[in-house]
Amino acid sequence: MGILEIKQLYKRFGHHEVLKGLDMDVPEHSIFGFVGQNGAGKTTTMKIILGLLKADSGSVTVCGEKVTYGETKTNRNIGFVPDVPEFYGYMNPMEYLKLCGEITGLPKNKIKSRSEELLELVGLKDEKRKIGQFSRGMKQRLGIAQALLNEPKLLICDEPTSALDPIGRKEILDILLAAKGKTTIVFSTHILSDVERICDHIAVLHDGKLALCGTLSEIKKRHRHNGFILEFENEKDAFLFENAEELKQPSISLSRDGTTVRVFLTDRNMDGHFLLSVLSQKRLVPLKFEVMEPTLETLFVEVVR
Amino acid sequence: MRGYLVFLKKEIFEYTKTYKLLIMLVVFAIFGITNPLIAKLLPEILESLATDGVIITLPDPTAYDAWEQFFKNATQMGLIVTVIIFSGVLSSELSKGTLINLLTKGLSRTAVILSKYTCMVLVWTASIALCFGLTYGYTVYLFPKDETSNLLFSVFCLWLFGLFLLAVLIFSATLTKSNYGCLLITFVAVVACMIMDIIPAMHRYNPISLATDNMGLIMNSIEVSSLYSAILISCLLSLIFVSLSVTIFRRKQL
Repeated sequence: MGILEIKQLYKRFGHHEVLKGLDMDVPEHSIFGFVGQNGAGKTTTMKIILGLLKADSGSVTVCGEKVTYGETKTNRNIGFVPDVPEFYGYMNPMEYLKLCGEITGLPKNKIKSRSEELLELVGLKDEKRKIGQFSRGMKQRLGIAQALLNEPKLLICDEPTSALDPIGRKEILDILLAAKGKTTIVFSTHILSDVERICDHIAVLHDGKLALCGTLSEIKKRHRHNGFILEFENEKDAFLFENAEELKQPSISLSRDGTTVRVFLTDRNMDGHFLLSVLSQKRLVPLKFEVMEPTLETLFVEVVR
Repeated sequence: MRGYLVFLKKEIFEYTKTYKLLIMLVVFAIFGITNPLIAKLLPEILESLATDGVIITLPDPTAYDAWEQFFKNATQMGLIVTVIIFSGVLSSELSKGTLINLLTKGLSRTAVILSKYTCMVLVWTASIALCFGLTYGYTVYLFPKDETSNLLFSVFCLWLFGLFLLAVLIFSATLTKSNYGCLLITFVAVVACMIMDIIPAMHRYNPISLATDNMGLIMNSIEVSSLYSAILISCLLSLIFVSLSVTIFRRKQL
């Protein structure tokens, strides 16, 4: 059983149906990349998980407990980092974390020690300025600190890196990686390189449902094209291979770029052995023979197209 | 209850840090000081402005003039400043998104509305008390021989009308997304009370009588008991508006 389970979730705004029977299961202690185009429904899903929006139908359970709209009981197990965290500008980070700790119901001494620990984790320990004077990256880091304050079992991050520069992004990803193991992280984004960097599970939301779901290696294996890259020592060998009679079949497509030949086998009965046999017959030895791995980007484009 | 107290503390901290409390206290302190002074000096000022051949004869000022200034300022500029200061009580938090973080931490929506209303009531109470205290002190000093009737009851009525207005304000804040919407609904509610006041039979039940009959009470031309119905109705309506605010806010999709 996952720490977060979503079953047949439907949500409509006017005539626009955003979620059309979404099913999702987030395993414990994973970093779960929740990917989708802008407007795909990622934020809507997260707000329903947090009890801030009412689903038209379906169910959401966090740690086995059903989420009820308007009630915030399940949120004691959740930390939330919004895409643009907004705080009270007249407070300093310590004052804000104290407020959050008091609302959560943490003991006073724990609030102080935990706040200091988290401000150190996010690099704001010595920051005495008011939050109103913070940069966006600093606010985002404080957003993670406040979300981790009650040691949540589930940390929900809604596009935390989308508006940051590369350094800010790296800082946030490093903090999330450091939090892995202590909490399960649902990381919503449309920046696929961020997902590939830190996530071990991925779900692609498209047309109100999950179009892809699993570990990155599972997904790649499942959607692996029967494609190969061969690199030859010179263009002559590459040309000879490209024009081999055995490869002139409708189920085989080839493309050559200098000394590199890309081969796609659409016939499922064909595999690398067939190409190796052709190479052997032609007495050609490639410098490189590689199975073509789909990237997350190509998979994403493929499912949302 | 914990959420209510923590959020109330945050609200008080916010009013202090954003100078809203200071502005309210300064405005009402200015009224408090100037009410008796204007009453005392107005005849002399008018006399000094008189041109050749024009004789302005005004009766000697009394404590009633000072209290007339008090109730005029408090019910006009005082309430306008109060409503403007508090008009963004909910909309600013909702538009910025500052409330989302705290709601996801287990803060109940009921606690949000109740602590916001409580804080507004506290600020209003402190402001009107300061204004009353200063006016009272100066009036006793400038007009020591004059005595007034039902003064505390009259100020209580004004204070209660403020509570009613703040209940309307928090209710309108849950209905709209902007400060202007909130101001508009509150303004419409006050105008509705004024229109109802045209009907004489309605006057004794109308909350606005708590802010219009004050001088009559002091001068003993209006009986205290004639305002009991308005007090009861204002209390009931305030309770209804705050309860409705809680209900609406609990159902609001954020």
